[in-house]
Amino acid sequence: MNGLLGTLAGWGVNVAIAFTALRTNLMRSILTTLGVMIGVFSVILAVAVGNGAQVSVTEQIATLGSNMAIVVPEPERANGPPRPGDRGRLTERDGEAIARQVPGVVAVAPQIRTSVQLVTGGRSASTQAVGSTEAFGSISNLGTSDGRFITKSDVGSAARVVVIGQTVADKLFVDVNPIGEKVRINRVPFTVIGLLESKGSNLGNDNDDQIVVPITTLRQRLSTATAQGPDDVTLLFVGFEDEDTLVAGDREIKSLLRARYRVSKGKITPFTVRTTKEIAETSGEVTQIFQAVLVAIASISLLVGGIGIMNIMLVSVTERTREIGLRMALGAKRSDIRNQFLVEAAVLCIIGGGIGLLLAMVAAAIFQQVADFPAPIGLDTALLAIAFSGVIGLVFGGYPAIRASRLSPIEALRSE
Amino acid sequence: MRTKMTAPLLETQDLIKNYVIGGEMVHAVNGVSLRIDQGEFVAIMGASGSGKSTFMNMIGCLDVPTSGVLRLDGIDTRTLNSDELAEIRNRKIGFVFQQFNLLARTSALDNVAVPLIYAGVGPAERRQRAQARLEAMGLGNRLLNTPAKLSGGQQQRVAIARALVTNPLILLADEPTGALDTQTSLDIMGIFQKLNDEGITLVVVTHEPDIAEYAARRIVFRDGKVIEDAAVTSRRRAEPA
Repeated sequence: MNGLLGTLAGWGVNVAIAFTALRTNLMRSILTTLGVMIGVFSVILAVAVGNGAQVSVTEQIATLGSNMAIVVPEPERANGPPRPGDRGRLTERDGEAIARQVPGVVAVAPQIRTSVQLVTGGRSASTQAVGSTEAFGSISNLGTSDGRFITKSDVGSAARVVVIGQTVADKLFVDVNPIGEKVRINRVPFTVIGLLESKGSNLGNDNDDQIVVPITTLRQRLSTATAQGPDDVTLLFVGFEDEDTLVAGDREIKSLLRARYRVSKGKITPFTVRTTKEIAETSGEVTQIFQAVLVAIASISLLVGGIGIMNIMLVSVTERTREIGLRMALGAKRSDIRNQFLVEAAVLCIIGGGIGLLLAMVAAAIFQQVADFPAPIGLDTALLAIAFSGVIGLVFGGYPAIRASRLSPIEALRSE
Repeated sequence: MRTKMTAPLLETQDLIKNYVIGGEMVHAVNGVSLRIDQGEFVAIMGASGSGKSTFMNMIGCLDVPTSGVLRLDGIDTRTLNSDELAEIRNRKIGFVFQQFNLLARTSALDNVAVPLIYAGVGPAERRQRAQARLEAMGLGNRLLNTPAKLSGGQQQRVAIARALVTNPLILLADEPTGALDTQTSLDIMGIFQKLNDEGITLVVVTHEPDIAEYAARRIVFRDGKVIEDAAVTSRRRAEPA
């Protein structure tokens, strides 16, 4: 017990000695700390941005709606995105077949997407028009904050009605409630019937910069370059009851479509089914890689900071050779001398790490405000940063400390 | 004093220390056999290069002999490893240096407490023992002064307090008055005489014959060998300031 108290007291003394030594060369200590500070700052910020990207992706996937599959008429490619020539056909009747024959399917919403120009009262906006059915809203969790969504009768009558996103509303209407207002979409007059619930933006992708019109109206009134036949669609949204049917649905949809398009055995399926579950998984992987790359780059600056620590500790050992000799003469063991310099390096690093952490927190807060990008720094990240700085100190302070402890007492004492 | 029937505190037999400097062998200490008993006050004299400092460093366990026997308090120090030697230096030996060797920017109290840190003594007891030693040196009103705020004589007294704080068996002083003026030198020798009267064994290395006359026994080195070893006949007394 006494021995333990003595050991603890010894470390306390080492910390005190370290602070005295660091104060003695204050400017040098500050400059050395700066290296670790910048290193920890960049590592923490990289972790925070990576975390933010993950949060963003999770949020974005939540906005897609849960238990949903997207079917596009393109074969899956192992390497890279689909090529323009890959695009096959997909029709509303395929959607109806899926709704009828695939177990667990709640609803299918066909979609045609095209770029459009909106004009009203001298203002204009370019955006993406989604032509779909009333099912689109329920499958993808897309509601209206004002007015109403498109209905079955809107689709049936190819009504010239439009539900606009918040960003589009902001561009076209100032101080005016858009509901009931007339807009011309690609020169065709439409009535605004609703305002889409805002879903914010994720990773610079504005979810509110779109409009929804009945698929029938879009087909008849707005030119669609993507469609080849009368009931061709860009893609299908398929809503499932639960996760289990969603997982099985992937295969079911593919085999159904293969049968409908008479794709012979051995040929690749000209359709891709992406489920929200898969999207979440791949996006998670991508953001993890993104984060790892960021942290790896930031770690280089931490390494440089550590080398700075090693350099300055070597200088410190050389300058204080006589002190080392004296301490040995007074009874310091090699381990006492080693610990003294280790603690000094660790204190230097932990102070640098602490300041770096604070700066990273400030930068993350500013980033969050200015760029509207979450960069959360958790308690675990903070503690990890401090612990990591200490480890940097021990690793890079280790060599100088061991060198100091190996000095011969008499030679150290004689040095000038 | 030498005739007292006590076990030798320090004993050397044919002690040899060789250095190789610039490819040439230097016989710094070349076969020294002597004993120092408890309670003695020894002055070691000799010109620079005579081997007196090398001898001192070896008996202080700061340097290791090339060959021969070196026994301190009955322990053959040549068989000890570096940690055991550190412990001997800490518990059994007190050092006083020519240049005082106090830690800069560190109070007198903290300087005196340094050996106690390495002895594993807790903070409260360290403080208390360091303070008692400084008060005994007449520095009770200088506890928190740093070396820069102390005179040379005061600094050397802090160093003596530090050397004594672990209650060592022997106090080794290497040119303790070398950096001090005449009067301050006398003060320091007076302190040594008083300590010796209290029973502390002292070995003082000096090249000044006057200083050596405050000791009880004089050993003279030349070319690594002892050429004279006798009691001081005309011993001087100094009253500590």
